[in-house]
Amino acid sequence: MTASDRPEPGNPARHAPKAGPGADLAAQLGLVARGDAAAFEAVYEQVGPAVLGLVRRVIRDPAQSEEVAQDVLLEVWRTAFKFDASRGSALAWVMMLAHRRAVDRVRSVQKESERERRTATADIPYDEVTEAVESRLDRERVRRCLGSLTELQRESVTLAYYGGYTYGQVAILLGVPTGTVKTRMRDALIRLRDCLGVTA
Amino acid sequence: MKLGTRRPPWRKGTGNGEHTLAGAYAMDALSAPDRAAFERHLAGCEDCSQEIAGLREATARLAAAAAVTPPPGFKERVLAAAVITRQQAPAEGAAGSPAAGTLTAGTPGAVLGPVPWLHWLARQGWRVRLAAAAGAVVTVAVLGAAVAFGLANGSMRQQLDQAQSSSQQIAAVLTAQDAVMRTDGVSGGGTVTIVMSHSRHALVFTAAGLHALPSSRTYELWLVGPAGDRPVGMLAAGRHGTTGPVIASGLRPGDHLILTAEPAGGASRPHMPMMLDVVL
Repeated sequence: MTASDRPEPGNPARHAPKAGPGADLAAQLGLVARGDAAAFEAVYEQVGPAVLGLVRRVIRDPAQSEEVAQDVLLEVWRTAFKFDASRGSALAWVMMLAHRRAVDRVRSVQKESERERRTATADIPYDEVTEAVESRLDRERVRRCLGSLTELQRESVTLAYYGGYTYGQVAILLGVPTGTVKTRMRDALIRLRDCLGVTA
Repeated sequence: MKLGTRRPPWRKGTGNGEHTLAGAYAMDALSAPDRAAFERHLAGCEDCSQEIAGLREATARLAAAAAVTPPPGFKERVLAAAVITRQQAPAEGAAGSPAAGTLTAGTPGAVLGPVPWLHWLARQGWRVRLAAAAGAVVTVAVLGAAVAFGLANGSMRQQLDQAQSSSQQIAAVLTAQDAVMRTDGVSGGGTVTIVMSHSRHALVFTAAGLHALPSSRTYELWLVGPAGDRPVGMLAAGRHGTTGPVIASGLRPGDHLILTAEPAGGASRPHMPMMLDVVL
């Protein structure tokens, strides 16, 4: 392992959060866990647009997306104490909650609208990923890093993450064996992680 | 490419075991049974957990790149909902305490316990900040309640105007020490939220998701009981069948709160069927 972008190996759990919004977010979540409404507002400012944007990407229907995004943000409020900085960044924690909820929602209603969604999602070019973005984070970098993937990797990631499909469904959509999709997904995320310079 | 720089031990082998699912897992791309199986694998594999954490950081950036500007009122609804949502307490023993009731959960008939939010607002300094902007704590209370109760819609402004006349009464109910909140389902669709104070002999009512009625009909709220049937008022449905807050005062022992559909313009007595019957 290279040391350049890793936290202190002997103490990964308590490495100092990086400066900037991420560090702030973790600290704010700590305050939220103690019932601090002002901190919750600060958390909202940092993650609200991304939570809604992600949920909308997966669910598509604006009204349902709003409802789910609100549920996610309330879950952040209710369960902030569960955030554990030793297991990842605050942003990753919130987005995991958001993505899981969104995916659970679409899978629970998948049968009725499967065909429609399938067509719609498969048609999205990857570079729309960063369209209509008001993100503080480096969206251009995300775009560039997505662009550095092979087409199969990129499609696997886009369909799985933004489309909410299982790897089995992605395999069918792309017409490749499931084993291939599995490894492409993992390789793609490893590449994205390194390209984006993010660490857990 | 830097793929090799963080290669975990298993990558050195040629195996194609469960950990190849790490990417799919980090993107929630596993079916429920696959997810469960993989989590069992994770439990015994610290390296896997580390890798998942790293991959999740990458997906978090994908999420952030999808950010959109929320519609007007979204933030206010989220914050107001938080204010009236009880936070989970960390479990002292086992992890995972039961979820606290939330307004959005809409548990039918669930009594959600004392309404803590005003004391809580004051403690958190919201009162000070908001009062400075709004001019009066009472207004703040009504505003907070109105916005919070309008969780499912964006038309709180009109409702707020309607509520102004009874704002003091509403605030009195919401701030009462014995105020309790409950939610109930409406037959035919919709959810009502009731905050009631026995000491004030009053309740505040709001509804969301009510089924749309033809223009010749209107929803009407009543108090019925040994003291007689009294109309509380007709409900002007907002978008998404949302209404309120409406105050019902003069509660008597044995009263029920009922909701009926009546001819537009209201009725002198409630007519069947009752869409809601809450024993107060």
